[in-house]
Amino acid sequence: MTHATEPDSSPPLRLRFRVPAEGVVAFSPLLQAGFFVTARVGCSVKTLLSGQFGIDEEYVTRRITTMFLDSKPVDKMESTLVRDGATLALSCAMPGLVGATLRRGGFYAPFRAGISCKEDDSPTRAGIGTVRIKLFNLLMGELGPLFLGRGIIVTASAMEELLLSSGDLFMTSCSEVSVDAAPAELTALVKSGIFKGRKKVRLTVLFDPPVEIPEDDL
Amino acid sequence: MEKIARINMGAAGGPEVTVTEVGEYAGLGGRAMTSIIIATEVHPLAHPLGAENKLVIAPGMLSGTAGAMTGRLSVGCKSPLTGTIKESNAGGQAAQVMARLGYAAVILEGKPTTDDLYKIHINKDGITITVDNSLRLMDNYPVIAKLRGEYGDKVAYMTIGSAGERKLLTASIACTDPELRPTRHCGRGGVGAVMGAKGIKAIILDDAGLKMRPPKDPERYRDANRKFVEGLRKHPVTGEGLPAYGTNILTNILNEAGGYPTRNFKSGVYEGGSKLSGEAQAELEIKRGGKATHGCHRGCVIQCSGIYNDAQGNYVTKQPEYETVWSHGGHCGIDDLDTVARLDYLDDNIGVDTIDMGVAIGVAMDAGVIPFGDKEGAIRLVEEVGKGTPLGRILGCGAAITGKVFGVERVPVVKDQALPAYDPRPIQGIGVTYATTTQGADHTAGYAIATNILKVGGDVDPLKTEGQVELSRNLQIATAAIDSTGMCLFIAFAIMDQPETFQALLDMLGSFYGITMTGDDVVALGKKVLSAERDFNKRAGFTAAHDRLPRFFYTEAIEPHNQVFGITDEELDSVFNW
Ligand code: SF4
Repeated sequence: MTHATEPDSSPPLRLRFRVPAEGVVAFSPLLQAGFFVTARVGCSVKTLLSGQFGIDEEYVTRRITTMFLDSKPVDKMESTLVRDGATLALSCAMPGLVGATLRRGGFYAPFRAGISCKEDDSPTRAGIGTVRIKLFNLLMGELGPLFLGRGIIVTASAMEELLLSSGDLFMTSCSEVSVDAAPAELTALVKSGIFKGRKKVRLTVLFDPPVEIPEDDL
Repeated sequence: MEKIARINMGAAGGPEVTVTEVGEYAGLGGRAMTSIIIATEVHPLAHPLGAENKLVIAPGMLSGTAGAMTGRLSVGCKSPLTGTIKESNAGGQAAQVMARLGYAAVILEGKPTTDDLYKIHINKDGITITVDNSLRLMDNYPVIAKLRGEYGDKVAYMTIGSAGERKLLTASIACTDPELRPTRHCGRGGVGAVMGAKGIKAIILDDAGLKMRPPKDPERYRDANRKFVEGLRKHPVTGEGLPAYGTNILTNILNEAGGYPTRNFKSGVYEGGSKLSGEAQAELEIKRGGKATHGCHRGCVIQCSGIYNDAQGNYVTKQPEYETVWSHGGHCGIDDLDTVARLDYLDDNIGVDTIDMGVAIGVAMDAGVIPFGDKEGAIRLVEEVGKGTPLGRILGCGAAITGKVFGVERVPVVKDQALPAYDPRPIQGIGVTYATTTQGADHTAGYAIATNILKVGGDVDPLKTEGQVELSRNLQIATAAIDSTGMCLFIAFAIMDQPETFQALLDMLGSFYGITMTGDDVVALGKKVLSAERDFNKRAGFTAAHDRLPRFFYTEAIEPHNQVFGITDEELDSVFNW
């Protein structure tokens, strides 16, 4: 297996903590604006989501009804390939005509035929790469814990902005905080200017109790 | 709903009320009622603000019943903004109350000979019209506060703000919500200016002592309504997405698709989009003690609306809808939800269409009146509209007039009505509807995404190039039909995906009227409405040349997909071939 992306020369700051299950909403600015994950690229969207991230196939098929690869609506997730550096945005079903139009394989897909993801035969390099994931609407709460638990990479400025805008309630609810594996205190951490001069943060968040992907919706 | 009230505002000796049987208009409701009356009774060359124009107010076919989602109110006239026939609808309580009062339509006719301002009170005992000049140039929130002192809280109000009195072309008619706030607007096409031209400031609808409209077959109706509600609740859009985030759930998606018109349609992606998203909005509303889930009228089970509070927890406005967040947000390069909420409040208070108002501000920004992104400047400009300054009057007449006055080339209007929040270059099918609708650019004209289930026009092969034209045609037919039922258009997702929910809707209509209703009947109704509207527009001087998008959509490719609008004129001209 080759490494399709040149790893960043400066390693990310590793930030890790535990929050109560309902705390996932605090991470929504990061989840909807997009975060980076390391993955094997050159595979199909479906393989990435189910095979690599471990999201139940049924959930992917029935719940993630709207998806974009590099701004292009995806219709066939089995044959659409994810390249290194791609952005994959995931959403539940959306309202209105445009919601129906953008829906995967939907009846109104011809309305946006010019921008749809086309199958392309050009060779795709398989290897380890970076994919940017965006989670929208209900998927933030449902899939956010999975990605946060695996660890996501965000810019240091986005991480700092998130912590600065989080209320005291959130800050005090975080436990088992560590920075580069050393125990730390979150409020002091933000004040210490630790993010200055850093480009990236690898954020891992554990939820208490663990948040499972809902099955009732399937 | 067995009667029609006609109020002649120009009668000698003051306004005159005539109440008749429904007669030739029997069986119609909502848009079908307003459009067929206007097409039949209004001279197509009438001046929209003159005595010959009429303002028809009609509840939907199922309004005033115990059925869910039945509270849309249609208002129709010849539009002062577009010059075409116009139907503009809103939620709020008015439709339910008017229907229970037994009126299938209230028609405002003529023009007063004095400049007195009137209010109309309708209750079970009849219709009373009185002069009330104390309301002059008051905006909607203070007007409602004053009227509540007189008529109380158990009524529904329809009012115009200062924009309607000034006959601005984007003036709306406000309908109060269950909390008696003037937040639900028949916004599009300047219907508020027509009410202002008739000298009417407020309509007070009081159904005290009256019951729900009884269905012909109560048991079947109850059963159909139960199935209909179940269908709405179990669908992920109507049961989860819309209640949790409202229509603004679309911001992230449109932005991701490159179809979010930014800074007056110069790009399809807005870098500040996620700050304006429905997700961010809902989180803020909950954090500040507002509501992310709220119904605009009693009997709504989807509840796509909400309550937006300021940082101190004080009410600012109802949850701004996607189109409003776009018009005042990304279209103007503003990424601040508090500014958008303030602008939404001002629009509701002054009484203007949030789409045309926001688009006009963006066009003014493009002209250099204020820079894109100027939050305080945008608020100042809308306040000018409320003050009625010359600049405010220009802006309050919408994007088309604003573009002309300031010499802007890129003016996103069709038939002088501003395009809503979906760029027709990446999503070309919606451009077909914008161009060809009878109403001027309007996303809701082709919104009823149930055409596959209705089999309008037979089975469409979406892979054929003409598929977009066919789909747009079918959408417009289905929408005209649903607009006539009084049902909120957001039911469309559930009836598209769940045949049993569509059947439940047909059963509701059938059991209420004691008839058997089929999908074909729905299609026939939609075609009848559209044909009447097209015929009116033709007689008013509209031709195929008006069924076009502005030229820049054909010549300026938009990022990130670098597409121009590519549907040919011949294809557009075939939309209404049936
Ligand atoms: S879904 Fe929204 S617009 Fe429709 S009736 Fe309910 S609150 Fe009003």
